[in-house]
Amino acid sequence: MNNDPSAFNSNTKIYKLSGLLNEYRGMPLDEDLSKKIEDICIGLDADFTERDAGITIMAENTEQPEERRKLERRNKDKIIDVIGIGLCLLDKDLKITWANQTLCEWLNLNDSPVGKYCHDIYHCDEIGTGVCPAGNVFNGNVSSIIETWIESKDRKKMCVQHVAMPIINKSENVNNALLLTIDATESEKTLNKLLLLQRLGEAMQDTLQLDKLLHLILTCVTSGYAFGFNRARLFLINKEHDVLNGMLAVGPSSPEEANRIWQEMSSKYSSLKDLLEGLGHSHNIDTLLNTMTKLMVYSLSDTREIVISCAKEKTPIIIKDAVNDTRVTEEFRKALGVDEFVCVPLIAKNDSIGVIVADNAYTGEPISEDRVNTLTMFANQAALAIDNAEIYKRLEDKINQLTETQERLIRSEKLAAIGSMSSYVAHEIRNPLVTIGGFAKSLSRFNFTDSKIKTNIDIIIEEVNRLEKILNNITDFAKPSTLEKVDAQICEVMENTCILMENYFQEKHIKLHKDFATDVPVVSVDPAQIRQVFLNILMNAVEAMPDGGDLNIKIMSATDSIEIDITNSGKSIPQDLLQRIFDPFFTTKQKGTGVGLPVSLQIIEYHGGSIDVKSRHGEGTTMSITLPIR
Amino acid sequence: MTTILLVEDDKNQRLLYEQELRHEGYEIVTATNGKEALEKVQEQLPDLIIMDINMPKMDGIEAMGKILCKNKKVPVIINTAYSNYKDSFMSWAADAYIVKSSNLSELKDKIKEVLANKAMNS
Repeated sequence: MNNDPSAFNSNTKIYKLSGLLNEYRGMPLDEDLSKKIEDICIGLDADFTERDAGITIMAENTEQPEERRKLERRNKDKIIDVIGIGLCLLDKDLKITWANQTLCEWLNLNDSPVGKYCHDIYHCDEIGTGVCPAGNVFNGNVSSIIETWIESKDRKKMCVQHVAMPIINKSENVNNALLLTIDATESEKTLNKLLLLQRLGEAMQDTLQLDKLLHLILTCVTSGYAFGFNRARLFLINKEHDVLNGMLAVGPSSPEEANRIWQEMSSKYSSLKDLLEGLGHSHNIDTLLNTMTKLMVYSLSDTREIVISCAKEKTPIIIKDAVNDTRVTEEFRKALGVDEFVCVPLIAKNDSIGVIVADNAYTGEPISEDRVNTLTMFANQAALAIDNAEIYKRLEDKINQLTETQERLIRSEKLAAIGSMSSYVAHEIRNPLVTIGGFAKSLSRFNFTDSKIKTNIDIIIEEVNRLEKILNNITDFAKPSTLEKVDAQICEVMENTCILMENYFQEKHIKLHKDFATDVPVVSVDPAQIRQVFLNILMNAVEAMPDGGDLNIKIMSATDSIEIDITNSGKSIPQDLLQRIFDPFFTTKQKGTGVGLPVSLQIIEYHGGSIDVKSRHGEGTTMSITLPIR
Repeated sequence: MTTILLVEDDKNQRLLYEQELRHEGYEIVTATNGKEALEKVQEQLPDLIIMDINMPKMDGIEAMGKILCKNKKVPVIINTAYSNYKDSFMSWAADAYIVKSSNLSELKDKIKEVLANKAMNS
């Protein structure tokens, strides 16, 4: 080609620049890169006397033939255009004296920009400010890097960065500046992606409630703001049962729903903040998609299932054509209802804990590898957060369990102390009481002329009777007698108790409503003691309705227990008293001893069951007894 | 006449039972503790023994054991303020177990029942 040393020099510099920019393609412009470019640019000169101005080398041999210079310039322009950066030369007035083709295309310019002001063609507001790169160069300062968004010829939004290089002429003056425009869209995208991941990660680490966290994760996967999939499902491994369980799904259940929801929500979650705030109230979603997902269960040994193999191999799997893909079973394809989807494993501490399955069922948008990569990164963070939440939940459960055990211990200690104490007192009182009452009774056999004596004796007898009843209650409480368990039908026990109280109900104007399920199984209980419990609770219920009312008795059977609900329509129990009604010797009744309910609870607990009480104003009070079937 | 040995340490209570049972037509012999009861049984074998449990010197269960060793056919009714001796197998040797009450009808009924059983078996 050209063996002119200066031309060789100039070409080498352009090649060097080209190489450098190629190497840094897609990276944001930083000081390091800008310094390297500047180093190369030292020695470049601008020949702007000609109309087709361009970059040339500081000329030692200006006497070059015109033809040769033109040829040389064209060659350089070609090279400059292929390196994929926008270049232009500016004079001191910030007017463009030359621009390459790439820049014209990026800026969507129809006419040559030569002669126009740089800020006019860039639509830049930085003119005259301290950040204008060219301005800084002409003022002898270091060029700053600025970033703007432009729309290119093919209507693509681009993020570009600008940096200016001084071109120093022979007299050591800066008369020109070379403005480099670099496409940073990709790096900007990556940066945003990383930022997003970081912010989502932070939000996830803040969420310790497992169900809320799962919802957050899937909302991120489906939110346009984050990953923008149409639908997402989350599966978690249940180690206890060796299965992969469908936990939650987010997304519309049908195309119609999709349209409606997207119209409603298009602007709803425009930022991460909105997204997180929106989670608070849409937390428990009861959609068809969610319900169906919760029904999806796969055995961990069933590696034919794609979700299982995804979890086992710990790599994401993109399925483009489920019908013809042998990795997808027909059942799974039908359950999902799409041909294209992606499975991403949730890996925490090197262990698979679940899988996210996402698809674009409604828009049909192809799933790009790029998006899957980001989703995988996100899934890793999500998995850690889930792991944390699960550990937290286990801890919480353990603490609750401990607290419960502790409370029960304290109560039984208390009961034991009260028991031995009350037993002593009861027996000490019983003996003299028997004597008093016995003599009063024997006196009542005599005939007295004064009727007052007879009345007074009767009062003594009555009061002694009352005292003895109280003592009986207390000694019952003190002595938890051993259970004599036999197979019994609870409905029958209840029926017998009701018969026993029939007259009492009538007297108190109580309307009895019985609702006994027919499938209540026989259970092993001490019928006498259970009847005692029913009696106590029924008595309480009747006493709560001094003016009569409705008494509902409902007996149902669950999978492993029987539930007996006794509801009265009387006055409700205030919340602060509700917690105390099972405390021994606590009573609100004038004639009560306060042992009926504690004794009942003790008996039910000896049977491995529990008693629960609910009381709402205007709705009466319900005592629910639960008895285990085995 | 049917003789009943009443073993009871509480003076007033003993008086009550004595009066009430006499009124029912029984001959009543009393003892204030287990030891005395043994002596009384040796003097004259009663038709029935009403035995308290908590007593000084010798409690009712021990006394009942000793009496039954020699005279298996004497029926014993335990009459006590405590219900928890029911669980003690020693008390199972008695023909009846009554928790004391100011209403003596249960005791009176049990006496009749036990005596009737005894008459039937002899």
